[in-house]
Amino acid sequence: MNLEKVIFGFFVLLSATLNFGFFIGDISDPVVHNVYELFAALVVSLIATVLKFGDRTQIGAVHLATSLVADLQLLAAGVVWIFAAHVSVHGVTAESTSSVVSLSGGALLANLVSVVLLVIETVSFHRR
Amino acid sequence: MSNPLLVFWQELFGLKDDRQQQRDQVRRLRAHPPVGSSAQASATIFLIMRRMRAPLIILILIFAVSVLGLTIVPGQDAAGQPARMTFFDAFYFMSYTATTIGFGELPTTFTDAQRMWVTVTIYLTVIGWAYAIGSMLSLLQDRSFRQAVALQRFTRKVRRLREPFVLIAGYGRTGQLLGQAFDALGQQFVVMDVSDERIDSLDLDTYHADIPGLVGDVRNPSHLGIAGLDHPFCTGVLALTNDDEANLAVTMSVALLRPELQVIARTVSPAVANRMEAFGTPKVVNPFDRFGDHLRLALRAPASYQLLTWLEAGPGAEVPERGHPPTDGRWVLCGYGRFGRELYADLRAEGLDVTVIEPQTPTHADQQAARAGAVDHAVGGAADGTADGTAAGETRIGATSPEAHVMIGDASSPMVMARADLTGAVGFVAGTDNDTTNLSLVAAARRVNPALYVAARQNVAANAPLFAAMDLDSLLVPADVVAHEVYAQLSTPLLWRFLQDLPAQGDEWAATMLQRLRAHCGRRLEALWKVQLTRTEAPALVGWLTGGNARLGDLLQSPEDRGRRLRLVPLVVRHGSEHVLAPEDDFRLQLDDEILFAGLPAERRLLETTFLDDAAREYVLFDRHVPASWIWRKLSRRPADSDRGSRAAA
Repeated sequence: MNLEKVIFGFFVLLSATLNFGFFIGDISDPVVHNVYELFAALVVSLIATVLKFGDRTQIGAVHLATSLVADLQLLAAGVVWIFAAHVSVHGVTAESTSSVVSLSGGALLANLVSVVLLVIETVSFHRR
Repeated sequence: MSNPLLVFWQELFGLKDDRQQQRDQVRRLRAHPPVGSSAQASATIFLIMRRMRAPLIILILIFAVSVLGLTIVPGQDAAGQPARMTFFDAFYFMSYTATTIGFGELPTTFTDAQRMWVTVTIYLTVIGWAYAIGSMLSLLQDRSFRQAVALQRFTRKVRRLREPFVLIAGYGRTGQLLGQAFDALGQQFVVMDVSDERIDSLDLDTYHADIPGLVGDVRNPSHLGIAGLDHPFCTGVLALTNDDEANLAVTMSVALLRPELQVIARTVSPAVANRMEAFGTPKVVNPFDRFGDHLRLALRAPASYQLLTWLEAGPGAEVPERGHPPTDGRWVLCGYGRFGRELYADLRAEGLDVTVIEPQTPTHADQQAARAGAVDHAVGGAADGTADGTAAGETRIGATSPEAHVMIGDASSPMVMARADLTGAVGFVAGTDNDTTNLSLVAAARRVNPALYVAARQNVAANAPLFAAMDLDSLLVPADVVAHEVYAQLSTPLLWRFLQDLPAQGDEWAATMLQRLRAHCGRRLEALWKVQLTRTEAPALVGWLTGGNARLGDLLQSPEDRGRRLRLVPLVVRHGSEHVLAPEDDFRLQLDDEILFAGLPAERRLLETTFLDDAAREYVLFDRHVPASWIWRKLSRRPADSDRGSRAAA
């Protein structure tokens, strides 16, 4: 068992699960989308990105790319939330919630690709 | 199995013939030398990125914990009502606190609970930042990282070269001399050496061009590949290290990877030269051999030798003095290593008597070493006044040199000197591989016989002032000999041709050439340059040249004052495959001829004016004044006059 692989897999999966947890539920209902979960998803996603630094393989490069996409989407979601909660006069409305959640949905897709890559890597490792 | 898509594709459509694939691979290898080291460089950078993982993750974690804590710890708003900080406020506060900017407690004054938490986070974040920044700085100063960055920069520089360049493997004394000569000629080059001090010295040598330098092993083909061996603009490779083995390796690499490139390799061993010649057609320069050839030329034709060394010495060289080595009499040669053997053969070939003194060193052939052991004893005996020692010490070398008197013993000792009979000799060569020995030999020889013609070999560049102070008649510096030879071969084919044909022209011819060069160019010879009388380089002269009556002398008149002859000396004219040395003024030029000139840059510019400018051409060749600008020519009454004129003259 390779500890590095364990940590790597853990963060990749955790980032996907947290993202999923935030994403699931009625898209325009602010009540079912906890902002703490968004924060956790963003932090874990950032850590997963850093973990992917310095991998020279082709699959490592794709890993890094998907992670960067997820970060970007989650950051955008966070900025939209901050704008809605602090800057906008209307507060957190159904529209702003749905845009935050849909952005996190994009991140979820990227995270799912990451998980698929992780699975492929594991399978091809066994076959070698 | 790095790329799953490729694997998938291969398994679905894996129709490609294996043999075909192998052939492709071989072809790829042939076309491009492996570039292991550049991959190594990027590997180092990946390693650095991996090492940044821990500091970055710790920074993210500390930030996340601090921000999260701030949003959870109860606070109060401006009205004193219980309220919590939002993520935005918390992130904002942490950002300016962690980076030690410290705007204060925003948006409202903190409660004691918040202050407790902030105290914890301040210490946490300071540690996190210090760790991250510290790791970053130490990585930037990491030796392997800096080497990797230097290698990448070098690779990029070489890849971006868009002019023909020469790859110099080995940047010792020879490399530096050549570098200066090439720079004066405007020839780009790339340098590679094992020692980083020498590569660092590239920055100190003031070159006009930006010269990429790499610290690397020339024996490694992938290093050569990075240094531009696989570059389309690479025109030649010079193997100039002190190590024959390394030079052989370079020759091999080039012959196998880029057989079409020109290779010039330095060696002092005929055996290595043979091995080099087994690979294609490298030009092998043996400084000892060349010095022997030069000495023979100097014996036979002092003026030819003087002219040869002057032209070979590169741009800006002062005219060397003409020596007059004694052509008959006996020579004494100290040191019978590789150099001694070469020189001995050359002197014998000139019909001179040679006495050889070999200082006993165990480094030479076994046979000699054994003999040296026996002779040591004999010389010791001689020192006691026994006459037998002399007889035993005077041995003869078998098959290679039947008439040589080879004496083995410390040449600087008065007794050995006396046996060599310096008083009866005319020439003395101090040719050991130790500068101190050579200098003391010269001093000892001069004391015995001040009238001797003295030649010495200088091995280390740093000793140059000492040898200069000795005021020797002839000095061999192997590095200089190689540099001059390579310069002559590479600067332009015409110069090489000139130098090849020079000895055959005789001594008087050379003396005349020297006088002309001295009269026109002064004591210092600037860079030689070549002109091509082609349609592109001399468009104004095309009509005149095709006429068949183009006198060289007419061309060499100043476009400022027709009465003044340009201070230029044409050295060679190449017409087709035919070469004419030192053409006279009556020489008839034709289209597509090439001329090699010696002369000052100002005169060169004047000549080029004649090449390009119709008005200058009319004045220089036919003493006619024609308007220089197109409009004036059109406006003048006889618009086609100049063209007709030139054709009539033709």
